[in-house]
Amino acid sequence: MTVLILIVLGILLSPFNGFAQDDTGKRIYNQWCAQCHGYEGDGEGYAKEFTFPKPRDFSLGTFKFRTTPSGDPPTDEDIIRSIRNGNPGTSMPAWKRFSDEEVKALVEYIKEFAPDVFEFEPEPIKIENAPPATEEIIKKGKELFRVAKCVECHGQHGRGNGKKAWRDDFKDDWGYRIDPANYTYPWELRNGSSLKDIYRTITTGLSGTPMTSYQDSLSDEERWALAHFIKSLQVERRLGISLRLKKVESIPESTDDPQWESLDWLDLPMAGQIIFEPRHFTPTITNVRVRGLYTEDKVAIMLEWVDKKPNKGDDGMPPDGIRLQFPSKIPDGSERPYFYMGDRRHPVNLWVWNAADNLGKEYIAKGPDTVYSQQKQDVKAVGVYDDGLYRVIFVRSINTGDSEDIVFETGRFIPFAVTVYDGRLQEQGNKGVISAWYYIMLEPSTPLRVFVLPPAVSLMVFFAGFLLHKRLSRKADA
Amino acid sequence: MTNFYPVVALLGLAISLISVFRKSPFFNFIGIQITVYGLLKSAALIMPPLPGQVITMYMAMSVFAFLIYFSIQEETFRAFLEPMRAVLADRDKRILRVVLVFILIPLLAGYIAYAKTKPSFEPPVSARIVHPEPPQQIDFRGKTIKILGLENPLRKDTEKLKDYIEEGKKIYYQNCFFCHGDDLDGKGHFAQAFNPPPLPFRGTDTIAQLPESFVFWRIAKGWRGLPPGSAPWDSAMPAFEDFLSEEEIWKVILFIYEASGNKPRTWE
Repeated sequence: MTVLILIVLGILLSPFNGFAQDDTGKRIYNQWCAQCHGYEGDGEGYAKEFTFPKPRDFSLGTFKFRTTPSGDPPTDEDIIRSIRNGNPGTSMPAWKRFSDEEVKALVEYIKEFAPDVFEFEPEPIKIENAPPATEEIIKKGKELFRVAKCVECHGQHGRGNGKKAWRDDFKDDWGYRIDPANYTYPWELRNGSSLKDIYRTITTGLSGTPMTSYQDSLSDEERWALAHFIKSLQVERRLGISLRLKKVESIPESTDDPQWESLDWLDLPMAGQIIFEPRHFTPTITNVRVRGLYTEDKVAIMLEWVDKKPNKGDDGMPPDGIRLQFPSKIPDGSERPYFYMGDRRHPVNLWVWNAADNLGKEYIAKGPDTVYSQQKQDVKAVGVYDDGLYRVIFVRSINTGDSEDIVFETGRFIPFAVTVYDGRLQEQGNKGVISAWYYIMLEPSTPLRVFVLPPAVSLMVFFAGFLLHKRLSRKADA
Repeated sequence: MTNFYPVVALLGLAISLISVFRKSPFFNFIGIQITVYGLLKSAALIMPPLPGQVITMYMAMSVFAFLIYFSIQEETFRAFLEPMRAVLADRDKRILRVVLVFILIPLLAGYIAYAKTKPSFEPPVSARIVHPEPPQQIDFRGKTIKILGLENPLRKDTEKLKDYIEEGKKIYYQNCFFCHGDDLDGKGHFAQAFNPPPLPFRGTDTIAQLPESFVFWRIAKGWRGLPPGSAPWDSAMPAFEDFLSEEEIWKVILFIYEASGNKPRTWE
């Protein structure tokens, strides 16, 4: 009997004994990390060829995201931060499901892939005394951005488009292509996008990449100033399902006309086209921003996106480009064309622009294999590449009279979708970066009755009250 | 916000009770209406919230019923009308009259008229059926596969099951995880770009509710196999018969059940 009780107790307590705990890290790693990082921790997992950036190879003990000086191993907390927060803009998600004990065990197991490196106890830097954001400090940071040569890789506006990064030898320690960060898109910042995250990256650098540590070359104060400037470059992402276009007198023709800045916008998160061959798993364009307006007879849409290197199609690579898609006619019910290139029964209009010829072309598509150019070309387009940012304006008549063309009726929600191409990644045809369906709506001018009816009702109610008052007070007097 | 409505109901009840003692049917009426409104809204605490139209209907009934109640006896009805008469006619109520009758009520009426005439535009909402009825049989690259009663042929091979699941894992992380997520939670790094969002497999309301044959059909036929009620035009789910073999699909099905900790529904 006693033996039986001891056995039962042993089974009950087994999760708490040392042996079982040793196994936890390995078990979780093999089940939830090895698919990318490899069963041997060498970054050779199943998903390696299907991700960009590629999964971290733990066997060299080189870690990008640390609070420790360049060349030192990360602290346990650094590895935990990467596991818990994930790395935005990559396929590394934030793992929230595991307990703190499980994550600790996981960290111990990851460290075993490079035991020599972790023999040494690293001394983390202190992240403290963050100064408040002021115009002055941002200005100082901007100057440092130039002086410290950040511009060479990250570009004037921090879009990751510096010319140094266009060179063929711009690679990480493993020999893989690497892109400088685009500071303007916080959702792409692998090491986090808060002020402290940026300060940490500047201070410790990212080991194994061309991003060096600035701990020795810049003072603490200078690094905070730089972090403030970089933080100030982040754009506000507006997600949603529809964009309303306002009516104006005339359409601004140039892409840098301040009128465009005054408009509301919609940001479209983008993903690789993975439905038809060739499936595209490793795009780098993550966002297209849409603005638009209309006049009596024309509609204009401006698309804006970051592309770190312009391709005009003259270097053996396809040109960069973008394509705007509408159904051929406004759908009556909920049924509409397939969101990528339409389908046999539901054709779509394609407005196409590319950097090689810089003009607008019009096509009809009835699925990805059935695309033909239209006889009558009605779309005009002009695009400009400026310091990492493409801006393309499409203009077309509200009604072209062509039965295959969409008519932009005011007050109707009209589906649209976008495909964008980065020539540097050989993107063309079905190898593109796509969005879901969204809506634009040409906002009708407010009808007159909205201005007339409410005051009239107010007045009527006032007089009704007044008359009642008169009548009742006379009765009371009498 | 819903927690606030029981307080409204209690406040209405208090007004109503005080009015009974002070013999003021008008404020009693107001208190009752506030109580009814508060109670109808509070229903959301124990059941799905009542639609706005239903609440409007019940309120109209309540107003009507209590108006009848208060107007049955002439005495009561006169008392009921008294506060309104007083505000409209009495000399000593002049300030209240100006504020209420000549300013606030006309402004409120104007605002209601504005809210009703202002054109409002909302993008169409498309309701979609998440688990459509599967077809009796499908054509898989020229081979007819009967869906009804279909079972995963690999599941019987218990000896090799572990290998199949591992092979399924490889297929999943080379074909599916971009959308359905590293952790099978539907939050892959492409997920945000698609609408409807990719389904999670973790949890008990997706694949746990389905037999494997259904999952096979969804993977094999993707967006283009969906009936119109499921909005195939919006789905980014590839038809995997274009990319994977029959056996590969069964392997990945084994993996997604195993990894999400779910069991397929059986035909019995």
